[in-house]
Parts: sequence; C-alpha cells; structure tokens
Amino acid sequence: MRWLKITLHEHDVLVVGSGLAGLRVAIQLAKDFDVAILTKVHPLRSHSVAAQGGINASLGTGDSWEQHAFDTVKGSDYLADQDVVEILAKEAPRAIIENERWGTAFSRTEDGKIAQRPFGGAMFPRTCYAADRTGHNLLHTTFEQALRVGVKFYNEWFVTSLVRDGDHVCGLTAFDISTGDVHSFAGKAVVIATGGFGRVYSHSTNAVINTGDGCALAFRIGAPLKDMEFIQFHPTTLFGSSILMSEGARGEGGYLVNALGERFMDKYAPEKMELAPRDIVARAIKTEINEGRGIDDQYIHLDLRHLGKDKILERLPGIREISIYFAGVDPIDEPIPIRPGQHYSMGGIHCDKNGMTPIEGLYAVGEAACMSVHGANRLGGNSLLETLVFGRIVGQRIAEYLPNAQRPSSTCVEDEAFKIRHKLQEWLLKDKGENPSEIREVMGETMDRLVGVFRKESDLKAALTMIRELKERFKNVFAGHSDKRFNYSLIRILELENMLDLAESIAMGALMRRESRGAHWRLDYPERDDENFLKHSLFTKVEDYVKTEIIPVNLGMFDVKERTY
Amino acid sequence: MKLRVARSREGGEITHYDLYKIETKKGMTVLDALFQIQDKMDPSLSFRYSCRGAVCGSCSMLINKEPRLACRTQLSEVQKEDMKLKIFPTLSDIPQGWNPEQEILIEPLPNMPILKDLVVDMSRFYDALVSMELWVDSIEGDEYHLQSIEERKKIERYVNCILCAICYGSCPVNAINQEYIGPAALAKAFRFSEDSRVTNSSRYIEAAKSAKGAPLCDLIMNCVKSCPKGVGPGGAIRQIKSR
Ligand SMILES: Cc1cc2nc3c(=O)[nH]c(=O)nc-3n(C[C@H](O)[C@H](O)[C@H](O)COP(=O)(O)OP(=O)(O)OC[C@H]3O[C@@H](n4cnc5c(N)ncnc54)[C@H](O)[C@@H]3O)c2cc1C
Ligand code: SF4
Ligand code: FES
Repeated sequence: MRWLKITLHEHDVLVVGSGLAGLRVAIQLAKDFDVAILTKVHPLRSHSVAAQGGINASLGTGDSWEQHAFDTVKGSDYLADQDVVEILAKEAPRAIIENERWGTAFSRTEDGKIAQRPFGGAMFPRTCYAADRTGHNLLHTTFEQALRVGVKFYNEWFVTSLVRDGDHVCGLTAFDISTGDVHSFAGKAVVIATGGFGRVYSHSTNAVINTGDGCALAFRIGAPLKDMEFIQFHPTTLFGSSILMSEGARGEGGYLVNALGERFMDKYAPEKMELAPRDIVARAIKTEINEGRGIDDQYIHLDLRHLGKDKILERLPGIREISIYFAGVDPIDEPIPIRPGQHYSMGGIHCDKNGMTPIEGLYAVGEAACMSVHGANRLGGNSLLETLVFGRIVGQRIAEYLPNAQRPSSTCVEDEAFKIRHKLQEWLLKDKGENPSEIREVMGETMDRLVGVFRKESDLKAALTMIRELKERFKNVFAGHSDKRFNYSLIRILELENMLDLAESIAMGALMRRESRGAHWRLDYPERDDENFLKHSLFTKVEDYVKTEIIPVNLGMFDVKERTY
Repeated sequence: MKLRVARSREGGEITHYDLYKIETKKGMTVLDALFQIQDKMDPSLSFRYSCRGAVCGSCSMLINKEPRLACRTQLSEVQKEDMKLKIFPTLSDIPQGWNPEQEILIEPLPNMPILKDLVVDMSRFYDALVSMELWVDSIEGDEYHLQSIEERKKIERYVNCILCAICYGSCPVNAINQEYIGPAALAKAFRFSEDSRVTNSSRYIEAAKSAKGAPLCDLIMNCVKSCPKGVGPGGAIRQIKSR
C-alpha cells in the first residue's frame, strides 16, 4: 500500500509559507544553510500578491523614522510594542532600497524618485507604491531573487502539523497535494510564515487560502497566540465576493447611499463625510444595515454615477473593472453594492522582535506573527513592510541559532507522520457524517454576525457557544468520496479544523477584553481602559482547554495618549 | 445553468465530462460555480484557486474553448464573449454531447500535461524562469536607482504579468512544440532588457533569442488576445526578433 510509505526529509531550516515573509527569511539563509520552503500554493499565488496600496518608509525629506514610529504607535491605539515598532520604522528605508535594487518597479515622481502617497493615519506621504499593484510587484521580484539564490521549494505541499520534542521543535509533517502522501520533515528550526486568517469570517477581502494554518499548528504544540481579538474590518468590500474596493473611490468623490437613497455619512461624520477614518465608516455602514436601511438588509451603495463616465474611466479603471467582472455592475450606470468585511489579522503567534516563540527553534514572521507591531489597529502600508523587515531579521537570528542547535531526531517526526496519516485515513474511510462546507459556512456567518465590527457580551457568548458546538460537530466530519491525488476537499477540511481553533480564541479574546480599543469595538464598553487593558492577551492550549492571560505592553518611546485625529 | 466539466482521474487525458446543475446568483463567477460543485455535489473535483480576485494567476482554464481566469469570468457573460483566437485542435475539438446554448464547457488549460481534472503540470512554464535566469543580477548598494516616469512606463505593461500561463495555453506554437518557452517568459525577458536600471540588458535578449525562444514564434498573436492583464507578449516578441 503506497499510503503506508512515509518519506523522511531533512533540512536545517523549514520555512512554512512563500509569501513575502517566508521568501525573505529563506533568501537570508540560502547562502550558508540548507533551507527549504513548504507552501500549499505556488509562491506567486500567495496572498501577498493581492496587496494594492503600498509600503511605508520615511524616505521623503522632512519625514523621519521617529515620525513613522509615532504614527504607527498612535494608530495601534498604543498596544504595539514600541521596541518592535522602532525596528520597523528604522529599517524601512533599507527594505525598500533592497527591493528596488532587486528590480521592483515602484511608481516614480517627476524627478525619478520613488513616489509616495498619503495613507490613513500617517502624518506624511510615506507610502511607496507600484501603481495599485504593490504586492504583486514586490512578490514577483522577491520570488525572482529566491530563485536566483537557489532556495529549495516544496510547492503545493500542505503542512499538517508541527512536531515538538520537549522544549524544542524538531520538524513537521506535510501532505504532498499531488500524490496525497504524508511525509515527515526534520529540521533544526521551523519558521511559520503562513499569513493571516481572514477566512475565519465569511466576508473577507483575503484569498480563499488565508486560513491561518500556521497559527493553529503552532497553537496545537503549545505556542501561545496573542491579541487574537484584534481584527481589522475594511468599510468597502464588494457585496458577494468581498473583494477590496480601495478608498480611492471615495477619495474621488463617491457617495455612500442607503436603501432610502440618503447619503447617510452626515449623521456620523458631518465634516469628513465619506472620507472619515476606516473604522468610523465601517461602523456607520454597519449601523445603517443593522437599523434596516440596507438594501435587501445586506449592503449599501457606493454611488459613482455623478462623477461621470470620463472621470470614472480615467481615475477609477480598477474599481470599474472589479465591479464589472465580479459583480456584473458597471459603476457608470449603476451604484456598486458594498459592505464592510474582514481585512487584516493583527493577532497571531506570540513572538519577540526576532520572531522567537517560547518554543526553542520555532519562529514566526509576517501576518501570522504577533510581535506586536500593529497593536490594536494596523496602519495601511505597514504590513508589507513588516514581512520584508522582519523576514531579514528572523533570518539573521536563525543564522546565529543554527550552529548551536541540536540535530533533531528523525523518529519523532516519523511517529507524527504516522499519526497524521492515520487521522486522514479515518476521515476518508468514513461513509457518512457532518458536511464540512456547512460547518465552514456557519462558522463564517457566526463570526461575521457576532464577532464583527460591533461586539457585545451576549453576542460573544453566543458565538463562543456556537463555535464550540461546531468543533464538536467537526469531530464527526465526513470527507466525501474523493481521490487521493489533488484532493482539495481534504485540504479544505484541514483548513477548517485550523480555523475553528482560531475562531474560538478570537471570540474568547473579544469577550475577555471589556473595553474598546483600535479595531475592537464593544458596544457595552465603549471606552478605552488603559488601567486594566493596556495589555496583550495570550491564549495557550493546555491539554483540552485554552488558558488565557494578559501580559504587559513594551512602552517607552511615546507616552500613552488619547487617539484622536 | 449547467456546467460540463472535463474529468481526468489519473491525469494524461480527459476521460469523460461530468454535467452539474448550478444554482446561480447575480455576479456569480465560474470559480464560484466550481466551489459549489466541490462543496455540494462532488468533492472529488480538482481545480486550483487562491485569490478569487484575478491577481494571483492560479485559476487559468479553458472556458467554452477560450483560455480564461475562472474567477474573473461571470457565468452570465461566458456565452456572449469571443476572443477570436486562431484555432488549434484543443480549441476546435468539440466534445460529444455539449450543448453550448445551455451548458458552459470547462476544460483544463491546453498545452500542458493534465495532472488531474482541471489541474495541469506547469513545470515547463515555470522552468523557463530559471533556465533563462529571469531575475536582476543584483548588486549590493545603499541607494535606490532613479528612474523617470517615461522609463518606467516602458516596462509597465510587462511588469503587470501575473504568470497565469493563459498565453501559453492559447498559443498554437506551444500546442505543437513542447520546446517553445512561450510568450510570457519572452515578455519577461524583454521587461528586464528594457529596464533602465538594468546594466547587462543584452543577456536577456540573448536568452530570448535562443533556439527555443523568439525564433519559434510565428507572431500569431493569440497571446495578445487572450491575456487577462493587457500584457501583450506578442509585441515584445516582435521587438526581440528585430534586435
Ligand atoms: C486585499 C488586500 C490588500 C492589502 N493591501 C496592503 C497594502 O497595500 N499594504 C500593506 O502593507 N499590506 C496590505 N495588505 C496586507 C498584506 O498583503 C499581508 O499582510 C502580507 O502580504 C502578508 O504576507 P505574509 O508573507 O505574511 O503571508 P502570505 O503572503 O499570505 O503568504 C502565506 C503563505 O503561507 C503558505 N501557507 C499557508 N498555510 C500553509 C500550510 N498549511 N502549508 C504550507 N503552506 C502554507 C501559503 O501558501 C503562502 O505561501 C493587504 C491585504 C489584503 C487582503
Ligand atoms: S502575459 Fe498575460 S496571459 Fe501570459 S502569463 Fe502574463 S498575464 Fe498571463
Ligand atoms: S483565483 Fe487568483 S486569479 Fe483566479
């Protein structure tokens, strides 16, 4: 039986994920060490490719890293760790210069410099961009360089578990999508760079593959998750597919209109109207829908018609293209249906500024990590930056660690592969049980409705009960009759298992945090409460329950103030 | 609305077609329909996906005999569209029983070995990136290069390539000659040679002019017609040929 054949691989460093963060770590290490990347999709299909707006760095005359750091800390509602923010802001120009020298085609100013645009929450136009395709440009360039330095790739391999031996990590198991076989990988260091977990919500701007696998796998071997309750919602995502509709549409003068045909922003932000900060607009739209003034009770309209055909064609071709291709609506003739949706995961694997987790040899970086550089609210343009700056730093740290690391035992990873194979086989051999897509839909809908833009105790308790019920139902999940090779249904079940764990910790965190801070808005506790909650939340799996605790924030450079704009 | 989907359990060739009845809603794409099949009707159907927003290049396939991104193709629009491609056998061979009035035909992207159902083996397409060394031979430095708006404009359309391989799947030369490295890799080589910041630009043109490259192109221009991102590799190849 081929199913029984387990193959063992060995590398110094195993990087899980080939988005910007994973690639950058691997590039740092490839010259001196044996480093391999495992990724569930080809590297160019990673979600980093979808980032539009840009990447921050204080390159402009008159700007400074200190100002960048301050904007970041203030934007984070003072929950970011200031020592980490300092590194982010100081290293930013270096990261941009490096990527530009690798070939990224940044947009330019009249005098040939890298163009920078203003972004929400920043006091200076410091967001470098490559048209509205910044992530695409950075990812393709960084991947080219990874090929140049000869990084070893396992493309279309789904990592199924991490393996721990006492206080250190010794490797992982992974499922070769093309064959359906489970292999074991021994490594001295493992890096989690698996990105965000937006798909825990059903309305998310994230790629379908953003299921937070790495966070859940690390959690399962005892690495704590941090600040999971902080989820950023974007006010304008396309109804139906939830594809991001950038702020540009409102910047050019688009109106937000409810079912009664009213431009309702005057009730919420009479001065700034549609151009108020993201969280305010998201809450306004949500209120209109909740109070029955949404269209079909589900969405509101982004109306561009008054801008006229010429302006739409000239300034907003991207928005128009997305509306036509993804909603069948031409904004020249019809208003665009939009609603708020999940956009970014501020929380993630608890680690320090070098990506080190409490488990020796286990590192985290990128959106999967929580160092914490974004605190309670991420500023646009800082997350791409985080991947490149900390990708390099984590690589450097691992290079220091490797010479003294012990060689992992291969038996521990082989035993684990045996267990995973057994688990998958059980799912596949069943002939009836719970339908995974139904569990996925209920989970997403529950998170949207009860752990969304507005939160309150009764909702959060109901959500937690529902998620735990779904976890019970999941135990009896039925994989359906499928084939061994390219079994994406099975992949989606593994992802669902991961998301259920993350959904639970998000709801727990939201319930525990009895204050409103950054992206976390509690109707029953509308004030920020620094005395009790200027703290990170931590979630650790202990046998069959989740232990929660709070730990201090690293302050220092900037005093904690009220966040007003 | 029905979808007639090519199936290939073991890979190699299409063994049969399965017919699925889709519950449609406004704005629904071919990719949405495939997920509906996988979720509600047939978990064994394999296809690639990631961003569902036409930026990652995962979901290229043949839809009603035209190579397209499934996530950017509205079910309601499929029947209206026509790329006017020059035909080769994979595009002209109509499977038995297909009723184009009522069914959308879904097949794997042509010109690459089928691995399973709609999943094809893209190694030949990706290998060109390495064999032609399609990257900047970067030199360390403390400052970024200046580049004028006009200089950047020269490479912009090529930089927009998402490496979805639709051009490769639409090309009649790729259909008959496995050696041909295909339009996207040539356009990418041209992108580096045209970049004002690149100092050794001739190496990219030389790579593009190798025996398996530009000389094999017959300037049929299916790549220009089918590219979902307006890259137009054919124009780049024409220029490479003239150098
Ligand atoms: C629509 C949109 C627009 C954005 N725009 C901006 C912007 O303008 N500026 C900005 O700064 N940020 C932006 N962001 C955020 C930013 O894009 C992300 O935070 C960042 O790209 C994350 O990079 P990453 O390397 O951490 O993860 P990703 O790029 O998501 O990569 C994750 C990798 O992990 C792999 N992986 C996951 N699970 C597994 C598994 N089980 N086994 C094997 N491999 C696995 C995947 O294959 C993938 O390669 C945007 C986000 C969205 C959704
Ligand atoms: S040139 Fe166009 S069709 Fe070809 S790979 Fe690039 S984006 Fe796809
Ligand atoms: S799923 Fe990314 S291009 Fe279609």
